[in-house]
Amino acid sequence: MSGPFFWCIVTLFALAGIGSPVALSMIVSSIVYLLLKGQDIGLAAEQMIQGLYDGFLLLAIPLFIVAANIMNAGTISERLLKFCLALVGRFRGGLGHVNVVANMIFAGMSGSAVADAVGLGKIIIEMMRKDNRYSPGYAAAITAAASTIGPIIPPSIPMVMYALVSDTSIGYLFLGGFVPGIMMGIALMILNAHMARKENVPLEEPVPRSELPKLTIRAFPALLMPIILLFGIYGGATTPTEAAAIAAFYALLVATFLYRAVSPRVMYGVLSESARATASVGLVIGASLIFNYIVAAENIPAKMEMMLKGLSVSPLVFLLGVNALFLVLGCLLDATTIILVIIPLFIPTVKALGIDMVHFGVTAVVNCMIGLITPPYGVLLFVINAITGIPLKTIITAIWPYIGVLIASLLIMLLVPDTVLFLPKLFGYISGGR
Amino acid sequence: MRNILKFLHKRAEDVMVAIVAIMFTAFIIQIGSRYLFNAGTDWTHEIILISWLWLIFWGSAFFLEDKDHVKFDVLYNLGGERARRTMALMTAVAMVIGFAISVPATWDFISFKAIRGTDHFNIRLDLVFCVYMIFLAGTIIHYGLRAWRLMRGDSLSKLEREESL
Repeated sequence: MSGPFFWCIVTLFALAGIGSPVALSMIVSSIVYLLLKGQDIGLAAEQMIQGLYDGFLLLAIPLFIVAANIMNAGTISERLLKFCLALVGRFRGGLGHVNVVANMIFAGMSGSAVADAVGLGKIIIEMMRKDNRYSPGYAAAITAAASTIGPIIPPSIPMVMYALVSDTSIGYLFLGGFVPGIMMGIALMILNAHMARKENVPLEEPVPRSELPKLTIRAFPALLMPIILLFGIYGGATTPTEAAAIAAFYALLVATFLYRAVSPRVMYGVLSESARATASVGLVIGASLIFNYIVAAENIPAKMEMMLKGLSVSPLVFLLGVNALFLVLGCLLDATTIILVIIPLFIPTVKALGIDMVHFGVTAVVNCMIGLITPPYGVLLFVINAITGIPLKTIITAIWPYIGVLIASLLIMLLVPDTVLFLPKLFGYISGGR
Repeated sequence: MRNILKFLHKRAEDVMVAIVAIMFTAFIIQIGSRYLFNAGTDWTHEIILISWLWLIFWGSAFFLEDKDHVKFDVLYNLGGERARRTMALMTAVAMVIGFAISVPATWDFISFKAIRGTDHFNIRLDLVFCVYMIFLAGTIIHYGLRAWRLMRGDSLSKLEREESL
């Protein structure tokens, strides 16, 4: 490690450690690097501006954010929940199942876990808490855990970010997320069934089966959305970025004209909120572009490969080790930071070891999503606390079993790469792994 | 003073909403024209990219509040009022110095871009990229004010309350 690079990392950790915004800390530490290296400091701005300006792919991120915000504002989430209630609400712990299934379907339209928790989560927690049928911890924990499925089943904002830093095909990454997302859903439903027996929650009044057709029709435009999206991307008709735009546009049409739930005032709020989220994420992405430049300039990939040749680590041991590290980091860092700052440091090694990039990417994203619910720093815990007022302490006490089953699912995905790679291979992906 | 700030913040928000709306509309036009009329549109592509750049840096300069940033605040939250003040002050000073140092070289890079224009509308690139200078200025002023107020002895809670517009 060269001197300038060392001080760059020290600056980054020192600044980020005392609570400076991560993006700004990255920019300042890269300026420190360029200064010490005696290079033109203007390079920092150049890398950021040019990288963002050339990154058309990244536009999928603001569009998915807009789409999710419109769906939440336009009662689409609510209709979806009613449909799921009719579908799986009749079993013991029914609302828990509804929670998971609704999140799995919603995941097919939204790419952000936080958007899922804000939209679906708020409504379903209210339903679960009515008459105190489910304890606050139970309701909050399963909602938080179910929201993590959002970015695993395509589309997915974190996977777009991973595609950016790793140069992997977004289409195959999205496909790779399907089976893992469903696995996570099943794991959570099994746990929910067990918890419902343990807590002895009362049965729901079953929605008469005769109502199912009506509810399906009411939710139909919303249910159509994932199909349009996926058909667009995999039918080869649109790029993922355009698919995101179509999703947002479709949501807007449905919410405005069919459901009549979006007024200009609501729309202003939706756009403003989307702009805020975009600027915040975009700045981190921009800053990570300078970092990618520095990592390349320092020739880290070649050095990693040299070091590994001497160490002879098996790919599986490496994969498990890195995932254990990500889980620990996930307790402390934001998923965006891990994907854009930490993961690029490991990508050269992953390539050198011959680990499949799609397999690594999907499992890393699953891992980071688990990180969203691991205390002390778990964004989803904070979000649910903020929207429902259920104390953090209550949520954290109840969340552990859910983290447990999600980690178990992750372990299966790591040990059996075909859980991730089966679908991409079916669509013609040639695995790069050995 | 506060009313002026509030007014400006609201206008900055209007600009953001307008940019997202423009970006979104351009996307719809691009897709519509390609699939319905089989005619590609270069100009929408350019509008989308410019609005993306402006969205990020304009937003970061004027619209994002401290709490909107992605942060690692575990240590910060563990600290008491004094520790937090120290950390907040260190952050503010580091940001001002770090960003201020980069101003001349960044200005060189951006003004140099004046020789080129965008592909379609031929807008001078220094005008497109100058939003980064706006971002630098906004960040330096924001953290400069913060540093000054922290040194003057304003309490953190007062600072946070007054910063949120």
